[in-house]
Amino acid sequence: MSAALLTRPGRQGSPLAGAVAAEWTKLWSVRSTWWTLLAGVLVTAATSAQLAIYAVNGNTNDDPADDAGVVTVGSVLIGSLELTQYAVLALGLLTVTAEYATGTLRGTLAATPSRGTVLLAKALVAGAVTFGFGLLLGLVGVAAAGPVLGEWGRAPVAGTAGDLLAVAAYPALVGVLALGVGAVLRGAVLSVVVLLAVLYIVPLSLQEPDIAVLNRIADAFPGIAGGHFLTGDGDPYPPVVGLLLLAGWAGAALAAGRWALRRRDA
Amino acid sequence: MITLRGLTKRFGAVTAVDDLTVDIAPGRVTGFLGPNGAGKSTTMRMVLGLDRPTAGRALVAGRPYRELRHPLHEVGALLDARALHPARSGRAHLLATARSNGIPRRRVDEVLAVAGLDERAARKPGRALSLGMAQRLGIAGALLGDPPVLMFDEPVNGLDPDGVRWIRELTAGLAAEGRTVLVSSHLMSEMQQTARHLVVIGRGRLIADAPVEELLAAGPAGSVRVRGPHPEALARLAGRLAGDGATVTADGPAGFTVTGAAVERVGDLAYELGVALHELSPVAATLEEAFMELTADAVEYAGGGSR
Repeated sequence: MSAALLTRPGRQGSPLAGAVAAEWTKLWSVRSTWWTLLAGVLVTAATSAQLAIYAVNGNTNDDPADDAGVVTVGSVLIGSLELTQYAVLALGLLTVTAEYATGTLRGTLAATPSRGTVLLAKALVAGAVTFGFGLLLGLVGVAAAGPVLGEWGRAPVAGTAGDLLAVAAYPALVGVLALGVGAVLRGAVLSVVVLLAVLYIVPLSLQEPDIAVLNRIADAFPGIAGGHFLTGDGDPYPPVVGLLLLAGWAGAALAAGRWALRRRDA
Repeated sequence: MITLRGLTKRFGAVTAVDDLTVDIAPGRVTGFLGPNGAGKSTTMRMVLGLDRPTAGRALVAGRPYRELRHPLHEVGALLDARALHPARSGRAHLLATARSNGIPRRRVDEVLAVAGLDERAARKPGRALSLGMAQRLGIAGALLGDPPVLMFDEPVNGLDPDGVRWIRELTAGLAAEGRTVLVSSHLMSEMQQTARHLVVIGRGRLIADAPVEELLAAGPAGSVRVRGPHPEALARLAGRLAGDGATVTADGPAGFTVTGAAVERVGDLAYELGVALHELSPVAATLEEAFMELTADAVEYAGGGSR
């Protein structure tokens, strides 16, 4: 028997386009992706509704007309993201740590020898999917929180749209950050520990004694920067700086991952 | 064509591949032989740009692998058939691989057919595949880009006799089409039937790079088995042969095996001495014996556990 070919395989397309298509196929061909998304949707719906109930119950003002205690739907949304970001983090992390765990990374690198291209393709797919996922979660959150808040909530179109975009951008960047950390550390468990430390444990510990210098250092950590960006407060820096800081962390993690992949034997 | 020039890989104090210089030529199946731990897989990983050589170069069609834009059109490789995502189907695995190099979807069905995997097998998740099916899937993946160079690391591992025959015919067919085919194995008997040329390594060093027949000829000489009804007559024959410088090993009272004497010489002597024989048969040296002799010094862990 011969392997003679019926189809002459083509060689069109850039390596990056091919790598993106491959990553896309890989992501959607495992059930864990779908479970992660479903879990994210359910948790968002539940926490948004719960936070909305808190907002309504916590309001002691008998007269909603005087506006005190009325919250934006967007703020409830952002609150619920505290929990659902873990689903997003898992999604970004798994695209690379699963390849190490199963040994498929060798096949991936044999098909696309440029380490930078492989990592960029993974980041593009994980970033795009988590951005879209974030938008979906935002809509789910609005749909769940809006009716519960009722007269205690308001949803100005521009503000809510801005909050939705923020709720999509934040997970996309956290997903890419997780991916870069996973590429450096290889193991999922160690990566999660390091991510939790960088996102929360270290900055919250720094904030604990409430010393100005330590607070400023904590403000530079990705979790805190992302929080400032999401809540849109202007202290200590404008929200866009928070976004840029978070993006910088994601970019640095990606660069470290590329360096590690290029240097190490697969 | 695969070109290795002074290829060396050290892991800390251990030298896995030691100054390997070989050309793997197209148009024939080259067996890559060596005991376990000899450095066969490390060499293949370096050819694929997965491991960085400590020194030297590994080139495919004259170029380092990492410089290839669509490498699956140049080299197809089966390294570790078990390296599959447990939840991803074999078909999705191949499809993702194909898309990375711009290979159309219908090619996936073609290679699945060549590998003898039907629709049901192709839909199974990685965890549900037997080793034999995983090997077939890995070979299908190597064929995706219709590459002129193919490398299979221990492809018959886990295959049933049908599968072994399939691999033998497939590799022979691929070589007949003018491709470079490198098949690694520690099973000498298998290589004797599959490969026409052998590259033998031990402890990372090149031991032999020659056609199979040449290795057999250069290996231990063939022996002759002799059996007869009269032990004392046989003893006389054995004594004459030993006196001529041949080595005689007794196989019980009714026979012996002699090396270092041609079957004709043994027959003539028996006639001359009037020894009745019931058997006089040449025993060809096997590749296994040639291999054992070649790698005797190169087995990394000797039987006694000494190093």
